[in-house]
Amino acid sequence: MGRDLRLENLTKCYGGLTAVDHVNLEIKEGEFICFLGPSGCGKTTVLRMITGFETVTMGSVIFDNQVINDLIPKKRQFGIVFQSYALFPNMTVEENIAFGLKMRKMPKKDIADRVDRMLELIGLSDWRKLYPAQLSGGQQQRVALVRALAPDPQVLLLDEPLSALDAKIRLRLRAEIKRLQQELKKTMIHVTHDQEEALSIADRVVVMEKGQFRQVGRPIDIYKNPSCNFVADFVGTSNFFEGRRKGDVVDIGRRKIKVTRNGGGAEEAVTLAIRPENVEVFKGDSLPQVPEPMNLVKGRIEVVVFQGAAVRLLIQTGGEEIISDIVEKDFEQRSLRQGDQVHVYCPPESYLVFPAGEGKA
Amino acid sequence: MNPSQPSGIGAPSWLTADKLFTWVIMAFLIIILALFLLYPVIDICRLSFIKDGSFTLKNYVDYFSEPRIFRSFYNSLFVSTVTMVVTTVLAFLFAYGLTRTTMPGKGFFYLVSTLPLIAPTIIQALALILLFGRNGVITRYLLDTSWNIYGAAGIIVGETLYCFPNALFILYTTLSAVDTRLDEAAQSLGASALKTFFKVTLPSAKYGIASAAALTFNLTITDFGIPVVIGGDYSVLATEIVNKVFGLQRFDLGATISVILLVPSITAFAVNYYLTRKSYAMISGQARPFIQPSRPLKKWAFTIYSAFISSCILLVFVTVFLGSFVKTWPYDFSLTLKHFDFPSLGASVPLWTDFWNSVLPPGDFRTMIAIKYAPIWTSLLVSIVVAVLGASITLLAAYIIEKKKPRGEQLLYGLSVLPAAIPGVVLGLGYVLAFNKPYFLIYGTIWIIIINIVIANFTLGVLSGTANLKQIDKSVEEAAVSLGAGPVTTFTRIVFPLSRVAFLSTTTFYFMRAMTTISAVLFLVSAQIKLAAIEIIFLDVDGRTASANAMCTVVVIIVAIFLVVMRVTTGSSGLTGMVKSR
Repeated sequence: MGRDLRLENLTKCYGGLTAVDHVNLEIKEGEFICFLGPSGCGKTTVLRMITGFETVTMGSVIFDNQVINDLIPKKRQFGIVFQSYALFPNMTVEENIAFGLKMRKMPKKDIADRVDRMLELIGLSDWRKLYPAQLSGGQQQRVALVRALAPDPQVLLLDEPLSALDAKIRLRLRAEIKRLQQELKKTMIHVTHDQEEALSIADRVVVMEKGQFRQVGRPIDIYKNPSCNFVADFVGTSNFFEGRRKGDVVDIGRRKIKVTRNGGGAEEAVTLAIRPENVEVFKGDSLPQVPEPMNLVKGRIEVVVFQGAAVRLLIQTGGEEIISDIVEKDFEQRSLRQGDQVHVYCPPESYLVFPAGEGKA
Repeated sequence: MNPSQPSGIGAPSWLTADKLFTWVIMAFLIIILALFLLYPVIDICRLSFIKDGSFTLKNYVDYFSEPRIFRSFYNSLFVSTVTMVVTTVLAFLFAYGLTRTTMPGKGFFYLVSTLPLIAPTIIQALALILLFGRNGVITRYLLDTSWNIYGAAGIIVGETLYCFPNALFILYTTLSAVDTRLDEAAQSLGASALKTFFKVTLPSAKYGIASAAALTFNLTITDFGIPVVIGGDYSVLATEIVNKVFGLQRFDLGATISVILLVPSITAFAVNYYLTRKSYAMISGQARPFIQPSRPLKKWAFTIYSAFISSCILLVFVTVFLGSFVKTWPYDFSLTLKHFDFPSLGASVPLWTDFWNSVLPPGDFRTMIAIKYAPIWTSLLVSIVVAVLGASITLLAAYIIEKKKPRGEQLLYGLSVLPAAIPGVVLGLGYVLAFNKPYFLIYGTIWIIIINIVIANFTLGVLSGTANLKQIDKSVEEAAVSLGAGPVTTFTRIVFPLSRVAFLSTTTFYFMRAMTTISAVLFLVSAQIKLAAIEIIFLDVDGRTASANAMCTVVVIIVAIFLVVMRVTTGSSGLTGMVKSR
């Protein structure tokens, strides 16, 4: 068993308000974990309890089989990267990186070597004598990253490190963080509200809402098999239908939908979710050939949103609005237009079925 | 596998090192403020209510039943109220010209308007006497009238000149912060310029106006320098306190009048403080929009007005400078340096005598440097120590208040802003009452003076510090801690360097105050320890007006040199720093 990090019934209350509510998680050494959730969901609070900047109300943070709730941040030796970079404006790039090493009383020679190595790692060796204000946002955050890595922390915690950056730089730095993580095999915990970021970077994603963990899993599982409405809605886009299920048929009032995942015998209220890319669109009035005609519905293309590689269609089907994403090439070939009459088909196996109301905000 | 507890279960939470640091400093600051601010003020209250060991209102009954003394109360309220109205109106128009018109020379006007801050308040009175006194060039020679400015008129004009920059700062900040697009919107909706001014501009600046008025009232009612020189028989509360103590040795009456003075001054301070918060709440962070070019009439009217006010301020300085270099004002205007050969008042062996005796050969020159210039050396030393000590201690207090927010932070904050409400004369008298005891070893040394000035000006230092620290991202400190820095290292390596600008501007402010303050330290000087600003009063009271002017000139020059040196060496202007923190 390596130096794993465990959260056991971790809870944080502010007065009567519960910000983090009995969460449990085991993080393996070398794992890249992402906390994902909307603002105010408690993800940063969890991170701050791990860093030691926030006290723990109940439960424990366990590292290497030691409860570290009461350990001062200095003794935890966890590196932190902040959203606002938090570089020391009065120190140069190399002084910033050397700061943590000096605090650990490392010999001068070793500090110089380590700083050189860190600068190489981010390709900023020529910028060592500059002050933070002379660097771009992306460069500053890279310096902040190696400043936190320089003292060889046990765990690296990243608090929305990319939120303050431009879209392009964000993508590059995201790749760079991933590369560093694979190279250094450090346990990293990353907090973000950007689902794309979380899915692309992490080994495992923790989706949070209202202080609780809604789902913990590999990015692909989170996307394909969301555990509840909230995750299906927050991660990616989904079409939702409320209805009552009996066997493998769900009655949503206007029509019935066939699903494959069937529950028990009793009738129950459920929520159906389906990803836009799983919604098929057929042009014209004639009924297309599909495996399950019950799931076919007639509609009209209301809005066409070009999104680069994909095209998003908003289709009005008498009382419902269904979103469908189709590959741009397909869209061209089939010459779909706004106002076209279409048939929409949702395959039974693509529907996700959740108990009604669960995890819905 | 059960996780084992780290060694020392129930060990103090990680916050301990940090908390200890915070608590030690907070305890230190609270003890300092309790001892050197609360205790003297409480001692004054005690003395005013207690006679022969029992509680009595006799002192107050005496005070209010003796018409001559009661007059000083009425007089104080009268001059303060008139000064308040006049200064606020004048400063508002000036601030309006600077912020809302496209008049030329704004930078110059602004710079001139800040000048009164670098001189002792008494400079206004000295200048007015040279111009409008019994032998004033204007009253005596230009107009040939027997009228002179002594009394209420002199106090009001002098206080107005002195309070002008203070009121201006508040109004300038208010008017630059209020969105001018509101004015444009009103005009686009058909309101006339005058209507816009009264319906939009004026109401949006109301808190700033009221706050400037309250501050002016507070400054005037607590000032001692101007009324003592130009008041003549017109007694006000501050001069009455000094009269009772110096003239009659009646500390109990002095204490009683002090308590009476505390009522309006604390009220005015509280009003000012409350309104400043309110007016800052109205300030939006958006960039200042473009000011439309003013119509020629408006532009020139404000230019002439601003030029007139600036001339009045400059005239004060020019007059006192001239007054210190001419032989016999106003009879003989030939130039001389003889007034700078200060007379030594009273026999004394000043602080520096031994030092100068050891470095200079005997002779007139040594006498001048060692004896006659002693107050200046003492003032310089006191000011430098006050500047460094005051800026450090207020920054520390601001750091605890703004960044650490420990339990009891409100108490520290309350004590930190209180000094601005306590008149200098009252605090000074409190020091005499509280500390003139053999076991207070620092009494009678320059340290009691240094502490007094640091405490008396604590408010602005702390407010400027907190304003600056607000801008430092909390993550920067956390980054340092996460990298292994303790609380002391975090403060010295990160917070202090980042507060450099605020620290320097507070240093400048403290230096200026220490060089120019009169009322706070009046009771604390002695035959051995004299201060330049106080000497101006003693010289003037002694009838040596020209030497008083000369001493005033020296003080102004020292402060000006200090400002220039600070500007050149640090690139920051202390004055603008103070403007921002108001």
